[in-house]
Amino acid sequence: MTMLSRVASRLYWTARYLERCEDTARLVASYHMLIMDIPRGSELGWDVLLRILDAEPQFYSRYRVPNEQNVVKFLIADRDNPSSIAHAVRCARENVRTTRDVLPEESWELVNELHLFTRDGADKAIGRRNRRAFLEDIIGRCQMISGMVQTTLSRDHAYRFTRLGHLIERCDMTTRVVDVGVMELMERDSRFAAIDPLVWSSLLYSLSALGAYRRTVGPLLDGTSVAEFVLKQGEHPRSVLYCLRGIREAAKALSNNEEVLRQVERLRRKLRRLHVEELNPKQFHSYIDDFQLLINQLHDLIDDTWFHPENT
Amino acid sequence: MNKRWSSYKSPGFFDELITEKGKPRTAARGAVNLLQGLTADEMAARREAADLAIREMGISFTVYTEGGNIDRAWPFDIIPRVISTKQWQKVSRGLIQRSRALNRFIDDIYNKQRILADGILPADIVLESSNYKPQCAGMSPRYGVWAHICGSDLVRNDDGRFYVLEDNLRVPSGVSYMVENREITKRVLPELFENYSILPVDDYPSRLYQTLASLSPREQKRPCIVVLTPGIFNSAYFEHAFLAHGMGAELVEGPDLTVGEDECVYMRTVDGPVRVDVIYRRIDEDFMDPEAFREDSVLGVPGLMRAWKAGKVAIANAPGSGVADDKVVYAYVPEMIRYYLGEKPEIDSVPTYLCMNEKDREYVLNNLDKLVVKPANESGGYGIMVGPHASAATRRKFAGLIEKNPRNYIAQPTLSLSTAPTYCEGSIEPRHLDLRPFILQGKESWVTPGGLTRVALVKGSLVVNSSQGGGSKDTWIVEGKA
Repeated sequence: MTMLSRVASRLYWTARYLERCEDTARLVASYHMLIMDIPRGSELGWDVLLRILDAEPQFYSRYRVPNEQNVVKFLIADRDNPSSIAHAVRCARENVRTTRDVLPEESWELVNELHLFTRDGADKAIGRRNRRAFLEDIIGRCQMISGMVQTTLSRDHAYRFTRLGHLIERCDMTTRVVDVGVMELMERDSRFAAIDPLVWSSLLYSLSALGAYRRTVGPLLDGTSVAEFVLKQGEHPRSVLYCLRGIREAAKALSNNEEVLRQVERLRRKLRRLHVEELNPKQFHSYIDDFQLLINQLHDLIDDTWFHPENT
Repeated sequence: MNKRWSSYKSPGFFDELITEKGKPRTAARGAVNLLQGLTADEMAARREAADLAIREMGISFTVYTEGGNIDRAWPFDIIPRVISTKQWQKVSRGLIQRSRALNRFIDDIYNKQRILADGILPADIVLESSNYKPQCAGMSPRYGVWAHICGSDLVRNDDGRFYVLEDNLRVPSGVSYMVENREITKRVLPELFENYSILPVDDYPSRLYQTLASLSPREQKRPCIVVLTPGIFNSAYFEHAFLAHGMGAELVEGPDLTVGEDECVYMRTVDGPVRVDVIYRRIDEDFMDPEAFREDSVLGVPGLMRAWKAGKVAIANAPGSGVADDKVVYAYVPEMIRYYLGEKPEIDSVPTYLCMNEKDREYVLNNLDKLVVKPANESGGYGIMVGPHASAATRRKFAGLIEKNPRNYIAQPTLSLSTAPTYCEGSIEPRHLDLRPFILQGKESWVTPGGLTRVALVKGSLVVNSSQGGGSKDTWIVEGKA
């Protein structure tokens, strides 16, 4: 049984948006916790989040000051911001509405509930008081949807395209977080070195990798091992390596997959050659830049191959 | 008999369930007896269960408003409408006869035009109608059938007889609600089914599949059938998805299809192009192919008409079918039945005055307060004037419209639409209703047992359209006595 290109594309985007929603919620939640531990004057501002999400131009076109209130509003509740939670949820819902037939019955209901919850709660979560509970609820709801898909969706095309979207978004987000984390820490004033472990643990938390890191690597946190872990620890489902393996597996079962598989190989090879300890912050940053470019190309290839085959 | 039922009266109208003497009709006896035995609380609980089922099943329809489109839960009345098999058989025969004649007519109009040459119908009525599509001339689809799916609106007058009010031959909708209504009744009033044998309706999607499959240009065990929808913003999108799902067919939008150099239609899939054999078209023909019809359509498929004319794909309903879906042409259907089939019409039409005829027009203008005036060409209950209920100003407005464009208006006597007991905020009250059965025609013909009963939920209202405050009822065709 084949699948319409349009349906495949909507499934892919649904998964991307849901993953984006969860990741953004994690990012804001972990930063929210971190900021309370940071001593005044350490210059760790909320604009870091904008840099992670490449959203600075978008932000400054409508806000002046990157203070807590503005940034959190922009990332949680601003429907016009394409990287906000509110926007991601709305887009996911629009895509599920027209692909209900190929998804498990509960999908629409759960996504619709997520939509209603976000619509009613986002504005109230801008202040510190309700913020954490709201974000945790968002994360929980996204996980419920992923879990339901994982346990009930037949391993057919619908599953494969959902998986592609989910994993590529995750790769993208993980590399962004690591990149900014490394830059932030390595360029900062050594006076505040004492708070470094806090930042690293917050980074791991935002990628829900803190527990796994402690068990696998150990309780002590340093930048090099953290970066290596979230990029190359193949057993951890949030690591980039794990995502690439999943993408390869999903693509293998699709037709006309040669170019996509070649691109995945390119990414894997690049990842294998990475040794974080040999790089200075600048080199690391340019490495991640190149890597992100390859991820974007992978997206374009997926789009051309299966969603718009007539373009090739 | 409890009080809510014993005081039930519907004076001056034919009631579907209760006779003038206040007794249940034979076919309805079992249902009425059971419902009478329910206390007020029990009725309310069943009503609530129905609302819950509707929400759970996600049965909705879309209402167009200024502030965007809104999905509304499907309005449903839990008291079923009951019709005996014997009565239904006659209606069903009449509908098949009618659909055969209409299809012969469409085929004739796009080919030899015998009926016009013989002067049965004035040529200009047909050929100048916006529903006549010159692009279709010379085509003769398989079995000579153009309108494979027809939804006819029936009403029952105070004489207890069924009349055909109009035939919808373009893209009639509502059938999914017919199927879902039965599903809801099974959930909330399962006891009703114990002593009855009610003809099932849930095989509609498979009947539709068979009809469509019989049109396939390729001999194949499982032809590729698609449902072509304008998309999520169409008011009947729920139904398009429902039918596609029920037939195991792909639900496609215009951009999903392309016409190849071989004039075959292909859908874009992740495995490359896949050839399509039959398109169940749920978009208006004006929007279906920008090459042949409206150039500005973004919903359509360029080249679709070419593919159809080359015989590479079947389209249901065939483009151009709407030529028989015109309220002026409607007036001639009894003539068509005699002309093409040499038979006597088995189901009545409503007497119709054509404002284009001078004599008729004069009568209409003098009797606006007694007549229903309709534009020849609208659907969905828009632009209708119900004379006895209209204000003097509205009547004057319509008189002006008729004089300005007589071809565009017809008038019919105000029928006394039948009523049925309806559960309204805790009491049982008579409400007016109509019935839309669906007639399928491919290699064989088939009529749904019953159809979609629409009910005007507002007291005294005759407008049953869901876009204007109408609801619906489950419709039973029951065998024997209960």
